[in-house]
Amino acid sequence: MESQPPAAAPSSLPPRRTWSATELTLPAPRVHRVDPRLPASAVLSVAVVGSRPVVTRLPLLDKLPTVESYRFPRGPAVASPPPAPRAPAAAPDRVPNMSTGSRTPRATHTRIAPPRDVVKLGERFFFLLQPDLETILDTSRLEFPRPPFPFQLDGIAFLVPRHSAVLADEMGLGKSMQAISAIRLLVRSGQARRVLVVCPKGLVSNWARELADWAPELLVAVIEGDPVRRRWQWSLPDVPVKLANYEVVVRDREMVAELGLNFDLVTLDEAQRIKNRSSQTSHAVRALRRGRSWALTGTPVENSADDIVGLFEFVAPGHLHERMSPRALGAAAADHVLRRTKDRVLEDMPPRLDRDAGVELTRHQRETYRLAEEEGVLRLAGMAREATIQHVFELVLRLKQICNFDTHSGESAKLERLEAELEEVRASGRKALVFSQWVETLGRLRSRLDRFGALEYHGGLSTQARDETIRRFRHDRHRSVLLLSYGAGAVGLNLQFSQYVFLFDRWWNPAVEDQAINRAHRIGAAGAVTVTRFVALDTIEERIDAVLRRKRDLSATILSEAGTPEASGLTVDDLFALFRLTPPGRAAAA
Amino acid sequence: MQQADDQRPDAQALGFLTAVDTPAHGFLGGYLLVDLHGRPLEFHCTTPVKVSRAQQILYGATLPAHLHGRQLGAALLAEGTVEPAVVLTDLEAMLHVRPHTPLPVALVAAADSGRPDAVALGGAAVVPPPTTSSGDRWRAALESLAAAVDLREPFERIRAAIEEAQRH
Repeated sequence: MESQPPAAAPSSLPPRRTWSATELTLPAPRVHRVDPRLPASAVLSVAVVGSRPVVTRLPLLDKLPTVESYRFPRGPAVASPPPAPRAPAAAPDRVPNMSTGSRTPRATHTRIAPPRDVVKLGERFFFLLQPDLETILDTSRLEFPRPPFPFQLDGIAFLVPRHSAVLADEMGLGKSMQAISAIRLLVRSGQARRVLVVCPKGLVSNWARELADWAPELLVAVIEGDPVRRRWQWSLPDVPVKLANYEVVVRDREMVAELGLNFDLVTLDEAQRIKNRSSQTSHAVRALRRGRSWALTGTPVENSADDIVGLFEFVAPGHLHERMSPRALGAAAADHVLRRTKDRVLEDMPPRLDRDAGVELTRHQRETYRLAEEEGVLRLAGMAREATIQHVFELVLRLKQICNFDTHSGESAKLERLEAELEEVRASGRKALVFSQWVETLGRLRSRLDRFGALEYHGGLSTQARDETIRRFRHDRHRSVLLLSYGAGAVGLNLQFSQYVFLFDRWWNPAVEDQAINRAHRIGAAGAVTVTRFVALDTIEERIDAVLRRKRDLSATILSEAGTPEASGLTVDDLFALFRLTPPGRAAAA
Repeated sequence: MQQADDQRPDAQALGFLTAVDTPAHGFLGGYLLVDLHGRPLEFHCTTPVKVSRAQQILYGATLPAHLHGRQLGAALLAEGTVEPAVVLTDLEAMLHVRPHTPLPVALVAAADSGRPDAVALGGAAVVPPPTTSSGDRWRAALESLAAAVDLREPFERIRAAIEEAQRH
């Protein structure tokens, strides 16, 4: 097919392009046949005239975004003088050290994260937008006797924003120091004006000392003495911190209610005391009107999951209940519990050297022991269904006492071993702690260890006498040995200047033994701490030891997110099993 | 932002202005006012601004000036009820807010940025604002804050708060 030019197009001019507002018309191009032998070109017509083009409007960035605004209260600390400008000679990239005021590079930035139960965005911003804790402490001009460890700053940052908190660090990591520093910050910022610290009676003077060391500017009233005096002390209006023991809180329960006292914060030390919800102590502390509830304990779960439920009845009533599975308990408690162990946070902690000293009873001891056990087991077996846990318990105690001292001859294989060890301790100028379950044993030991300047510390002494004992042991170099009962000496004391710990007999619960050991093995320990556990071989002590070793994982599930497994004590079944007996109830059920 | 004639910059306050580019939401701006101890006084944050590809092409090289300077920066500074002695930003693009505010705006760069126009301060390199009618009043406040706080640190707080706002 031969193409023809359009008739309208002039033959001498190129085709003219015409545009209209809505269409485009392109004339067909002129095609010339160059060589008649070649096939003619085909011409395709493409219609380019279409509908009206679409106009797209692109939005510009002309609308301003919405701005959300949050304003924060200026606390009292803001009114303090601003830091002085840096001296020209100072290095520009160094910051003040909180302990000395000198400028050293700040290694850590500890953030105060908002707790999960703070839900309002503005309140969460309040925490998120605060400077790091190091800066807050620095600019608050708070002085410390020694710089806190980074994990202790984490603990302070954990406590400060929380109304419900359990600080469950392993013994010796400085729970009281962390709580005192957090209290200090709350008081300084005006968030707390009335704080109550409750601790065991034997630790009141220890707490008073710690408060004076770590918060010297805070006025502290120790609630003690007769009722008239206590009423006056409870009523003191301008004392931000009041310190009372559990017994006083129980005794003054009505007085506190009558006075209408309302605390911004109540802190319980050794809070495992309230794990039994039906106890008077638990009722009394739960009745305290308060804004914040903090609990300090190294053993939040001693025997069963119910322990932590009991603790939370004070910390966050109703948050946990005993029907929850251990995993659910752990999840629900997670944001309220902070648990660290020494091996995790203190790489530079002096080593703890543990050794079990198996002791062969003397010939007389062995004979007394054998007779007592045979007689006791026979008696229990004869009692059959009448045998109670109390009967078993009495037999265990009797046998353990024989393991310490032969009731007839007074011989003691353990004492002989201990004397030999203490000779070495004294010769090296060190100090040793010796723990026993019985005050009577401590008395016998003291009379035999007089040449080591042995001192006794137990619940039978007055608070003043105990304080004086600690003072003498600390400062008198001729006093090499301190004899302590587990009950009075296992908690709260700071005896880190002692390098040796002897467990003359074993407690029922390894957690309590750990507490005892941590009187010496704690922050500030000058060197390695050697722990010696005396175990009379082939006796009830060896069997108890084996049971306790197996039971160190009871509460692992509950605290798995926060720390290491707790140790738990002996149950009824365990005690009967020591003599290959079955509790009567279990036998019937079987 | 126009400053009232009778309103003087607060020598006890400093401002920190930045923006975060999030893949999901676009740009979010944050403006933190702190006292000389670094404690928060006010916080302002924008709703997200998403820039399309077409807008990027249309605005071309003027996009940072418009987005950071006008859209985010000016909108945020307008909300502050405290007039800080100086506004610090860690984004060069945010310096485009200067035509929209009478406040001195300085750039905080990394200490090792090697910028010849920067002065070392508070663990960072600070590119000072141009000379203004208020002179160098901002400098004393900045030096006080730098004595207590790493000048780059408050930007981390803003980013953490913006992240929290997105989660909320």
